[in-house]
Amino acid sequence: MALFEASHLHKRFADQVVLEDITLSFEENQISGIMGPNGAGKTTCFNVLTGRFKPDRGRVHFDGRDITGLPPRKIARRGIARSFQMMNLFDEYTALENIVLALPEVRDKGFRVLHDLSNDSGAQDRGAQVLARMGLGGREGALASDLPYGQRRALEIGIALAAEPRMLFLDEPTSGLGTDATAILAELIGEIRKSVSIVIIEHDMRFLFDLADHISVIHWGQVIAQGAPDQLRENEWVRASNLGALA
Amino acid sequence: MASPALLHVNQVHKIYSRGVFNKQTTFDLQADFTISEPGIVGVMGPNGSGKTTLFELITGSNIPSSGQVLVNGQDIHQVRSDQRDRLAIHYHQSYQVRHFRKRRPNFMLQPSPTDYPLVHLFDEPQFNTQDGYIGFMLDFFRRLRDEDRLVVLCVHPNEPFHLQIMREICERFIFVQSGRLTQAPDYDSLLQNPDVTAYLGDLVGGQAA
Repeated sequence: MALFEASHLHKRFADQVVLEDITLSFEENQISGIMGPNGAGKTTCFNVLTGRFKPDRGRVHFDGRDITGLPPRKIARRGIARSFQMMNLFDEYTALENIVLALPEVRDKGFRVLHDLSNDSGAQDRGAQVLARMGLGGREGALASDLPYGQRRALEIGIALAAEPRMLFLDEPTSGLGTDATAILAELIGEIRKSVSIVIIEHDMRFLFDLADHISVIHWGQVIAQGAPDQLRENEWVRASNLGALA
Repeated sequence: MASPALLHVNQVHKIYSRGVFNKQTTFDLQADFTISEPGIVGVMGPNGSGKTTLFELITGSNIPSSGQVLVNGQDIHQVRSDQRDRLAIHYHQSYQVRHFRKRRPNFMLQPSPTDYPLVHLFDEPQFNTQDGYIGFMLDFFRRLRDEDRLVVLCVHPNEPFHLQIMREICERFIFVQSGRLTQAPDYDSLLQNPDVTAYLGDLVGGQAA
């Protein structure tokens, strides 16, 4: 059984079918990709898989346990972290503070501990380690708002990783990034995959083809194709497209 | 008893009119056809010819003035409105969506006999050669057919490759013009129809060779 399994998910908003019978599984220690054209239902899929929306029908299992309909907080406690398309950093805090606030031991203590954080060298060390893994070593004291876009994205992923999840979901990680920042991000994901299973939702085919072990193509709220990047690349239309020409 | 046809559009007539005392028909659509077997059916026709109305009638959101739509023998309009898309599903662009009033409460209607739809209607899917998704879309249509579903693919061709796709993937065709349907058993007979060649215009110039 795969680490993460979703079976026969259905979701609709009013009369609009958004997910129609989606079945997906993500293996441990792999990078799994979900791609599809605009409006294919990728973000809704992300939100249903990570618990933000409850599916109308279908089940989601993580590590053999049914997590369907659990609130996102409980899903996070089971070991699933997610990073969104939308920036959710505390701009007036430093990079290190943003990470430290996401550490599980800090979160568990809640508000009362906030004043003591400057003395909590253990938490600071762990935060600095996460930053270093994200290629942000040396930027501990920089305000989140002062970081360039690519580093903000890396910091967000660092926040998700601070909880030491078993599986990390990334929603459109390349959105808003230029070519250079995208390449740096790809390198970063290649590095963190050593310690966490990753699911990436992305419309940039080339980014996924280079990184993912397995890709599911979503359109019309369904899985219309899946396979290893090399298998998908064999498709004559893919070869004839920009992607094939540039590959 | 033979198993019922996958899709039976039985003398469906939809009339739009305006005026109260002096009613004038503004548009009427007539459709009467049967598709017994799984397959991929191509639908073409000018804008405003009634293609989307036909799809709305088949999926049950729009109600015919007369006639009925049977999906695998089940009258779609007798199925709970929230479960009709488990029988026949309409994939469309969001701007194509029209909302219809519901005529009867769901508790008075029947549940869908199937969970995953038997009839899949694709309303002008975006075929873009740049992004490479077309191949996956075509494979998906074939997979649905091989799983005994009926695929209805509506395309308004404005590039030669649109027509190539239709020729490659569709086993039969329906041409819609001014609310009337013409059927063709294959691509070559479709092009025998002078209305079709007039509609396709320059696109068939290169195809005929």
